[in-house]
Amino acid sequence: MPEKQLDCTRAAGEHQKSWFARLREDVFQKQRPYAIIQADMPFELFHVMDVPVVSNQWWASIIAAKRLSGHYLDMLNSMGFHNGLCRYCSLAAASTLAEDPERAPWGGLPKPALLSARLTCDCLQRVFAIWAEAFGSECVFLDNPGATELPVRWWELSRRRWRELFEEHRLEFTVIQFRNLIKALERITGRQFQIDRLRERMERVNRQEEYFDEARHVIYAAPKTPVRMHEQVTNVMAAQWERGSDWAVQHARAFRDEIKNRAIQGVAACPGERVRLMWVGAGLWHDTDFYTAFEEEFGAVFVWSMYLAFGPDGYIRYGLDDPLLALASRTVSMNEQLHNPPWANEWIVHQAKLNRIDAALVLTPLGTRPAATGNRFIERALEQAGIPVLPVVADMVDARDWDPDAMRRKVSEFLEHRVLPPIPNARRHVS
Amino acid sequence: MRPSKMTNSEFTAELKNTADPVERLARHYENPAAEARSAASGKTPVVGITSNTVPWELVRAAGAFPFIINTGNADCPDICMYMEEGVFEQRIRAIFGAAISGDLGYLSLLLIPRTSEQEYKLYLYLREVARQDPARRIPPLYLYDMLHTRSPESYSYGLQRTLRLKERLQDLTGRTVEDAALIRAVVESNSARASIRRLLRLRRRGPRLTGAEALALIGASFFVDRHEYACLADRAAALMEDRNPLAGKRLLITGSSLNHRGLHRALEKHEAVVVAEDDWWGSRSAGGDIDCGTGDPLKAIFEKYYFDAPSPRVFPFEIADAWFQEESADGIDGVVFYLPPEDCVAGWDYPRRRRYLDKRGIPHLLVRENAGSVSEECHAVIEKFVRGIGRGR
Ligand code: SF4
Ligand code: SF4
Repeated sequence: MPEKQLDCTRAAGEHQKSWFARLREDVFQKQRPYAIIQADMPFELFHVMDVPVVSNQWWASIIAAKRLSGHYLDMLNSMGFHNGLCRYCSLAAASTLAEDPERAPWGGLPKPALLSARLTCDCLQRVFAIWAEAFGSECVFLDNPGATELPVRWWELSRRRWRELFEEHRLEFTVIQFRNLIKALERITGRQFQIDRLRERMERVNRQEEYFDEARHVIYAAPKTPVRMHEQVTNVMAAQWERGSDWAVQHARAFRDEIKNRAIQGVAACPGERVRLMWVGAGLWHDTDFYTAFEEEFGAVFVWSMYLAFGPDGYIRYGLDDPLLALASRTVSMNEQLHNPPWANEWIVHQAKLNRIDAALVLTPLGTRPAATGNRFIERALEQAGIPVLPVVADMVDARDWDPDAMRRKVSEFLEHRVLPPIPNARRHVS
Repeated sequence: MRPSKMTNSEFTAELKNTADPVERLARHYENPAAEARSAASGKTPVVGITSNTVPWELVRAAGAFPFIINTGNADCPDICMYMEEGVFEQRIRAIFGAAISGDLGYLSLLLIPRTSEQEYKLYLYLREVARQDPARRIPPLYLYDMLHTRSPESYSYGLQRTLRLKERLQDLTGRTVEDAALIRAVVESNSARASIRRLLRLRRRGPRLTGAEALALIGASFFVDRHEYACLADRAAALMEDRNPLAGKRLLITGSSLNHRGLHRALEKHEAVVVAEDDWWGSRSAGGDIDCGTGDPLKAIFEKYYFDAPSPRVFPFEIADAWFQEESADGIDGVVFYLPPEDCVAGWDYPRRRRYLDKRGIPHLLVRENAGSVSEECHAVIEKFVRGIGRGR
């Protein structure tokens, strides 16, 4: 685990751990319903119905960080699921199919009342249905209508002109599906959904993302980044998984304040920063040390990933007279915005320029192949903008094919040959 | 997938000299774009379709020539500028290659349905290449976004999208799609379906044709006028009815879709007959007829594709597995699961379907190689499997 420079980071880690312990206690002792859902689901609907949610991707990242992914994925393969299948979304399911809670992180996932996912690929309904069957839980799916109008600079429209940005028929269809999900949540909890609670929650989500917006401005305006990328991710995601809660809003503010203070005091995450790196794709959860491995020798610091940047651009919605519709607009195109042309490539180049990025590493997740779509467009666009790109072929959660030394060597060569000015090695090491 | 072998005129000349309906259908199968190209040169708007969930009848009723694209340019060197290695299946790569290299320039519209997620991505990729590089002759694109989850809202959404498609096609051809034209198109496609079902009946108990033959005879329906197809297929079936039954072990193929005959040929080298495949290219291409008796032909057409067209996005499992369960338990000697190296979808179904077969004592084999070029090792495994299974369950 890389060093934690921010107080916030420690607080986020502790909060998540105790939150999960409380969740287990509530589920086992008070039979409180909770849900397992995919990262791109409308969490807000669950929150306003007081149904805690565990994100599939978050749990996968915890398993990977505990170095348990190899064990679970081997087990999945031995059950007949071949190793070319997508791993990111199936790792947590594998930990359930393994039926050995003693080994699982933090005692393992208890039985949820509900599992739910948006069908952004052809494998997800399969993974979630197999998982739901193993738990004996209900599963609700939201189908994913395709986008046919994709104005290139979507982030300029997403906050206020979201009704124009996402096609009306897609939004309406998504709202109808939300209503079905709400019915399931009402059935599970015995409570009634209140639209005003949703509106309030969405307003608080806006506050939270505004803090993140300020935080990212501080980061890219500072001469050297005051916060490393992996610490951004820990803080941002801890708050995003429960976005709009008192803790999340307060944590976003504390995060902004802490890095603002660092920037004002001229504190740099890596004082020797000379090269600003961008990480494109999901995190490398099984080897987060990777993200600080190039600081000492090259002054190369990861300063950007999608996690912080997407908060403000992807989540803020002003004009909440119809909060369900606004929520639909936040949900309906996440996959296009983060992965597919033209939205992902245009946004990432825009972000790279704002953040004065010198070079980018793009994750090509071959163990999670459908999630690799759009990468060539992103790589080409970055190169065309003058930003050298190194594709990193690896899986975000599966360490079985990952050779940490070879990959570090590869990045070093990339930095030496394509990024750093041709100065003698001797001088570089002296500095 | 290989490019058309002959020029249009060579193809037409040769076809004129071929009286045998089996041979004629086989020629159409081998030259899948030939009819479309000649329609285009005769100034009929040609609509290329990338898979099975587009209402053929609607395109036809609008006065365009619909056909499924099964030629391509997988060797186009520019593919790797845009497409990730190992992410898209071969057929989708080939269509992409054909589109960006200008080979599909004769199409008035490239109609991409939402049969699979890969096709949606194909649509987004092609749009982007067209935006970034307008010099490439990419045909106009259209996404037909019929969803496949079985819910009232997906149904209504699909119906709405079908109405939008109708409008787009009207714009394309300048012809209003009247109910009468839809009904005529339905009659035509139903007659092709009936002919396909007739061929399919010849494949089951006491099969009269090999799987490799069947795939060509059925597959031709995607590339030609369906009226002509029905005539040829009926004549072909009549000829085959007189054949003696084939003696091989009867196999069913399931797993990833097969747009070529590589696996059928490999299996049939070893005294097996492929009598069915869980695939829209074969046994599942026709399905049931469209019933226009309700008085709303457009709705009837939509429902056919929504309820009766296979797609990896059909859900839940009970519906997605229904055909496989029924057919594999009906006089099949063994099942072959085809999961090529690039598979990342059907593999999720494999353990569940294998369990189903195990419970019923139905033998099965897993093939994980690309069926385009089956290795000696794989041939040996197939041979052993076929030899080891009993006949006439
Ligand atoms: S393609 Fe994406 S959403 Fe689908 S299973 Fe893989 S990582 Fe998950
Ligand atoms: S495909 Fe992308 S958005 Fe979907 S789960 Fe995988 S990484 Fe996340």
